[in-house]
Amino acid sequence: MNLDWLSSFLIFGLFFVVMMIGLALLLHLQMGLAGIGNFGIVGFWGIGMYAFGVLWVRADWPFGEPWPFLISLAFGTVAAGLAGLLIGWLIADLDADGIVVGTLGFATVVLILATTEKSLTGGAYGMGGLDFPYDVGTIKGNEASWLAIVIVLVGALLFYVARVHRSPYGRLLISLGANAPLAGSLGKPTFGTKLWLFVVGSAGMGLLGAMYGVMVHFLSPLKIGIEITLAAIVGLVLGGRSRVWGAVVGVLLTVGLFDIVIQLYAPLPASLSAQALPVLREVLFGATLIVVLMFRPLGILGRMRRDKLMRRMHGE
Amino acid sequence: MSDREATATALKPTGSGDGGRPTIRVEGAVKSFDGRVVVDVDELTLGDHPIEGLIGPNGAGKTTLMRMIMHTVKLDRGTITFFPPRASADRGEILSSRPPHEIARLGVVKTNQVIQDFDELTISDSLLLSVAKAPDERLFRIFREDKLFEEYAEPIRWYLDGFGFKDPHGFAMSAGAKKLLDIIRCLLLRPKVLLLDEPAAGLPGEVRDRVIELVKEKASTENISVVIIEHDLNVIWDVCDYVHFMAEGRVILQGVPEWIREHETVVEKYLGSGHVGG
Amino acid sequence: MDFITDALVIGLTEHAPLVLAAMGFALLYRLTGLINVAYAETVTLGAYLGMWVNTTFGLNFYLTLLPAGLLAGLVSLATYLAIFRPAKRRNVGPLELIIISFGLSIFLRYGLQFVFGYEVRFFEVPPPDTIRVLGVGVGSFRILAVVSVAVLAVLIYWFIQRSRVGLQIRALASDEELAQVSGIKPLTVTTLIWFIAGVAGGLAGAFYGVGSSVRPWLGWEEFLFILLVVLVGGAKNIRGVIIAGVATGVALAALTLQFGQALYSRLALIIAFMVVLKVRGNPLAEAGKV
Repeated sequence: MNLDWLSSFLIFGLFFVVMMIGLALLLHLQMGLAGIGNFGIVGFWGIGMYAFGVLWVRADWPFGEPWPFLISLAFGTVAAGLAGLLIGWLIADLDADGIVVGTLGFATVVLILATTEKSLTGGAYGMGGLDFPYDVGTIKGNEASWLAIVIVLVGALLFYVARVHRSPYGRLLISLGANAPLAGSLGKPTFGTKLWLFVVGSAGMGLLGAMYGVMVHFLSPLKIGIEITLAAIVGLVLGGRSRVWGAVVGVLLTVGLFDIVIQLYAPLPASLSAQALPVLREVLFGATLIVVLMFRPLGILGRMRRDKLMRRMHGE
Repeated sequence: MSDREATATALKPTGSGDGGRPTIRVEGAVKSFDGRVVVDVDELTLGDHPIEGLIGPNGAGKTTLMRMIMHTVKLDRGTITFFPPRASADRGEILSSRPPHEIARLGVVKTNQVIQDFDELTISDSLLLSVAKAPDERLFRIFREDKLFEEYAEPIRWYLDGFGFKDPHGFAMSAGAKKLLDIIRCLLLRPKVLLLDEPAAGLPGEVRDRVIELVKEKASTENISVVIIEHDLNVIWDVCDYVHFMAEGRVILQGVPEWIREHETVVEKYLGSGHVGG
Repeated sequence: MDFITDALVIGLTEHAPLVLAAMGFALLYRLTGLINVAYAETVTLGAYLGMWVNTTFGLNFYLTLLPAGLLAGLVSLATYLAIFRPAKRRNVGPLELIIISFGLSIFLRYGLQFVFGYEVRFFEVPPPDTIRVLGVGVGSFRILAVVSVAVLAVLIYWFIQRSRVGLQIRALASDEELAQVSGIKPLTVTTLIWFIAGVAGGLAGAFYGVGSSVRPWLGWEEFLFILLVVLVGGAKNIRGVIIAGVATGVALAALTLQFGQALYSRLALIIAFMVVLKVRGNPLAEAGKV
């Protein structure tokens, strides 16, 4: 397959966009539907990445691939899920303030642990040794196939989200986000539902993080900073936090636009790119959050429009 | 019968748990807000009669008491127990230690005095939310909607047509529509004990009458216990088999409507004259 | 005994800015009920502004405090007028307000790099005199920090609890409509609070900055602790915040001495705080209407 048109830079750019779409989709379920303002996304992503990477690289595997890879991947996912269980239990019945503090505190803890546990994680210097669990022949081939795998994964997630909107579970989540005490008075287990949503969401974020680790071949605390959480939040808010496609639209217009379109195709002087561009990116993201929430809080795609959906599903 | 005997007969509870009716027993329940005692009920049984009224001036603690039953307000002291229909006296479910959603699942349900709704959900959404049970709502049941809709299409349609909802897949726009939706949601839960908090307020006359009729019917045919908080005493006299009068957090008087009306001086002291007649 | 005095002295002097920043944040939080993530940047800006005045005009550290505090206060006030007040008027919900403040925090944190540069900067000051307190060597800047914090704590406490304006603030915080009816002008009082909070944060930032380095992440690194101190200590009043802040500073110092690793002490305290918050629970639920 001729992949000349697909530069490594583009592959990686697309990969990152798809990753952020995945995170934003999970945030859509938690925040857009159920009203949980999760500021700790990068913490779960990071636990998945590190738990997977550390086990895979450091453990003495008595058998060959692909089992160490698969087991480590599962381990990363489960570890993130367990973290979600702990943090979810802490925050599921708290108000917005409590959730912000809890999730932010958690993400900070993960960052600290990644830096302090040098023997495990390589500390501030980071840890390498991660590579693709297969080899199709060329580096670019490997990268492109990994990108394809992640696209399938996030595609499946998008399908799940779309189905959730059309199922009783989705209605339950929306009721929790709209008026949790009222939902409780109708017999809905508000704490339990939010908790399990958080667990599954965290596990998903962990899986994505592990797959990111494979692609970049290197773990470092620099990769698990607040910028990841920001990118997911901006993408979701801009696109439309209550809509199925909000995450996709928003991330394409923020991360996609900036990382791929501008960096690849805009004619900017090289001196600018190195330092100013990443900073400009964050400045624009921050400004976008403020402007969107002030003037069009439901994002580009706007209101949920259940009336249209219900008519389409059950209408006469 | 002497006056005292009449009072005694009127006041005697018909026994909890052995008449086969679902009842709620409140014992020693106290609640204070900011140092002020809002509810202080020593002993109260609700549900011995099909439809009971809970009346009293504003601030008497009626809604707070109901919220304590639903455990959305924590009790400072005391216990509230639910006796399901045909349960014996020792088979009560303690409500005051359970989370609100479990209480609703047990069959004790309350409508809202202040209008509550799910802004993003359509009318049909609201009703489907109500009828859905836990197995329908698991996070992996992403193809469940059709089956759920089929299963409950009939009762939902019955309520929608019966109350004239012309556009079920639209949103409840007016306060009256939201109030009505609140009540229908609770009815769809097939409760054993139904606490109605000012159901008539905000409903147009015709709708209100239909709600009252429906409640009367359910109470008599389905062995449901209904407790109504109302300021519109016409509704109370018309519908209730028994009335509890609360003031300043305590239950002051209890009796059949006629008896309560006879003791209007006491009632009027709290409600102001001209109320009891109506 | 040495361990305790060491912990006390180091804790108080090294983390005095935390108490100061927490007081400023607490003022804001009590008035608005809003977690303003961008407050972290008020701290950072205090450090940058102080450093800038110091390096541009050659003023010594103590003289930079005034402009640093004042300018930070003005920036804080400006963010209220330009962003938070309009947002409130558009009926933006509580979670959305927090996200807006997060966006503002990012905007300021990265934006200031365009103004002040990308590299880590430093105050150009001679090394401070070392004064021995209870057997521990402490820099004079830090002594000043403790003194400033103490003075400001007293001032702010007096201001809020005893002055006429303070009464207005407390009234405004508990019931805005009622306060307005009583003739309290919300705009004046609110902008005053945002200004004072900004000054407190900016001064804290200047003290942080002179003690280490001036970098874009300065405020953000401290923000989580500022938040925790206020949520755990300051639910009722300013005094609680001061106590919690001092206790946190001392605990941080003690744990660092114990573990030898500053990060571990932070970790332990974050976890401790979260446990306390969970155990304390959420008393807001009963105010609901269901």
